[in-house]
Amino acid sequence: MQTMKQSKDPFEVAFEEQEESPPESPIAADENETQTPAAAAASGQGDDVGTSVPPSLPSTTTGAAISIGAAGPIVKSKEEDEEEDEENMEIELGKFPPSGDPDKMAKMQTILSQFTDEQMNRYESFRRSGFQKANMKRLLTSITGSSKISVPMTIVVSGIAKMFVGELVETARIVMTERKERGPIRPCHIREAFRRLKLEGKVPRRSVPRLFR
Amino acid sequence: MNNPSAGPSSKTKVGSSQSSETSFKRKRGVFQKDLQHMMYGFGDDPNPFPETVALVEDIVVEYVTDMVHKAQDIASKRGKLLTEDFLFLIRKDLPKLNRCTELLSMNEELKQARKAFEVDEEKLASTE
Repeated sequence: MQTMKQSKDPFEVAFEEQEESPPESPIAADENETQTPAAAAASGQGDDVGTSVPPSLPSTTTGAAISIGAAGPIVKSKEEDEEEDEENMEIELGKFPPSGDPDKMAKMQTILSQFTDEQMNRYESFRRSGFQKANMKRLLTSITGSSKISVPMTIVVSGIAKMFVGELVETARIVMTERKERGPIRPCHIREAFRRLKLEGKVPRRSVPRLFR
Repeated sequence: MNNPSAGPSSKTKVGSSQSSETSFKRKRGVFQKDLQHMMYGFGDDPNPFPETVALVEDIVVEYVTDMVHKAQDIASKRGKLLTEDFLFLIRKDLPKLNRCTELLSMNEELKQARKAFEVDEEKLASTE
């Protein structure tokens, strides 16, 4: 299994591309796009429905280890997490940013190739982070009271929860720019963000008010 | 089944003797590590404030709880709780819906790939 080396990790491909040819898209558009990599990636992820079968599928279990070695400059401070996160990464690395659509793929590659180190770091965290399946399963079990939580259900709830965290953090950043504050996000920003999300109807509300919290 | 300490915002730290699967008390910081990376990925500082992470964890757990309860309400007519109930809940939120269908189809692909891989391995083993 260690000999399967054809992982087409997008970071790897982007680094190769950088050396081969300059990006062809206009600079102005790119600058805007590179400014908001997380937002672009988030909406890019959301638009996708169909996924083509990536050729490196059989190697996704080892793809994690191999592409880490290949994409050297990226900071690898979470190596211990890799074993635990391998299940998450199988899903993440097996799928490339807008796959199946050559135009979108090309766009994504040009964006990725122009990332600064910090942006690449953040994008990597964005792609790789996720809730541990075991923890989510335990939480779901304790909520439902039933013992059988299927794996797809865990996957779906983890995906929904991750996107919700994204909405919270992005809205909190918007709040911070409105208040002209900088630095790490503080709880007051999150609370305001949560309040706004509730007003937008993005948070499920209980028809019966919660008692005895 | 109604248990006052079933509220997910119970703040007691559970000792190791109580960590059964059906325990209703919740430890703090279950998702802390994951959330730190996640929040950084979505735009926070590389080192988010611990209070912020704790607050986000509380909010997420409450969100998941409320959503599961709503899904159970929907599913109670049919009987068992299914993945489709969650998909029905987020049907109006297109980014989430698309992401979930994508994740599910990827999961299927990986399952097929793993199956095919195992079949090959068996073939190799039997021909040796």
